[in-house]
Amino acid sequence: MTVTGPVEPAVGDLVLAAREGDAEAWDALVARFAGRVRAVARSYRLSESDAEDVSQVTWLRLVSNLDRIRDPDRVGAWLVTTASHEALRIIRRAGRHGVGDDGWEEAIVSDDPAADSGMIVAERDRALWKAMGMVPAACQRLLRLLAADPPPSYEEVSAVLDMAPGSIGPTRRRCLDRLRVQLARITGGPAGSPG
Amino acid sequence: MNEEPTTDATDAEDDVLLAELRAAVNRIDPVPPETMAAARSSFVWHTIDAELARLAHDSVLDDQLTLTRGVVAPALLTFETPGLTVEIETISTDGGWQLHGQLVPAQPGQVEIRHPGGATSVVADDMGRFTADGLPPGPVSLRCRAGDAAVDTDWFLA
Repeated sequence: MTVTGPVEPAVGDLVLAAREGDAEAWDALVARFAGRVRAVARSYRLSESDAEDVSQVTWLRLVSNLDRIRDPDRVGAWLVTTASHEALRIIRRAGRHGVGDDGWEEAIVSDDPAADSGMIVAERDRALWKAMGMVPAACQRLLRLLAADPPPSYEEVSAVLDMAPGSIGPTRRRCLDRLRVQLARITGGPAGSPG
Repeated sequence: MNEEPTTDATDAEDDVLLAELRAAVNRIDPVPPETMAAARSSFVWHTIDAELARLAHDSVLDDQLTLTRGVVAPALLTFETPGLTVEIETISTDGGWQLHGQLVPAQPGQVEIRHPGGATSVVADDMGRFTADGLPPGPVSLRCRAGDAAVDTDWFLA
């Protein structure tokens, strides 16, 4: 899908404008990166309230460090790295040994009764969500990050997962394959391409 | 990983599946409106009144902890500026947390414990010690005034 519209201002320019006190520039940064910050927290399977804490402390950190960000163009990597540290900190602080065991099924699939095809969409969503819960944890983390809206750059994913940027592409392919197989199991459809 | 199933999907099919997953995540697990609102309103803390004390040490991430399931040890955090160091110990309590702090060099002062919902002011005694209890969950920053120094710690979670 091609979206045409006004050219979005460069991220670095938004940081510089926010530094000067431009609240609209700040809001634009939030709009662009809030999904990614949340995706980091949720990729560690943090609870809703822990994910909220990670988001809050990450944005407050950006506010207090706005004047010190060395490379404003790479504020996305700064944000996801900060969120990742805070998420890990919560996990360690709670004495958990790693990513929580609670599955993706914990989230409640909400139907949208307003939409004509609400039920069909919700079933497909539910199947995708369930399939996510059945792929290996490392794939769940990568896919949850890549599913952020707007999606993160490979540099940002690399910062969170401690993976070489060059290995993200092949891993993405393998993980989507796993997801496709599980999805086919759930829906009873073919796993491969039709035909 | 020899038994790893493959589906010979094309790049385009991968892109479609990921786009589908993104749309599903957007519906099932979107950024809550209150998270967006909190992120936007955090900009009110953009001030240059005080020097930022950066996190120099955090026992949770820096130390080898002996992890014991169900036991939450106190966290020790150190925030530094050239003129003033703030050492903090945080302890989880039922529904909140308490804080014990120390100004270094030891000196009396005022400490404002700021959180997005408000602030709590406490006094640092002649030895630079201060304490606060019943703090709400969520991020805080300490504004410390001692002598001529005005220092804000960076934001942290207890």
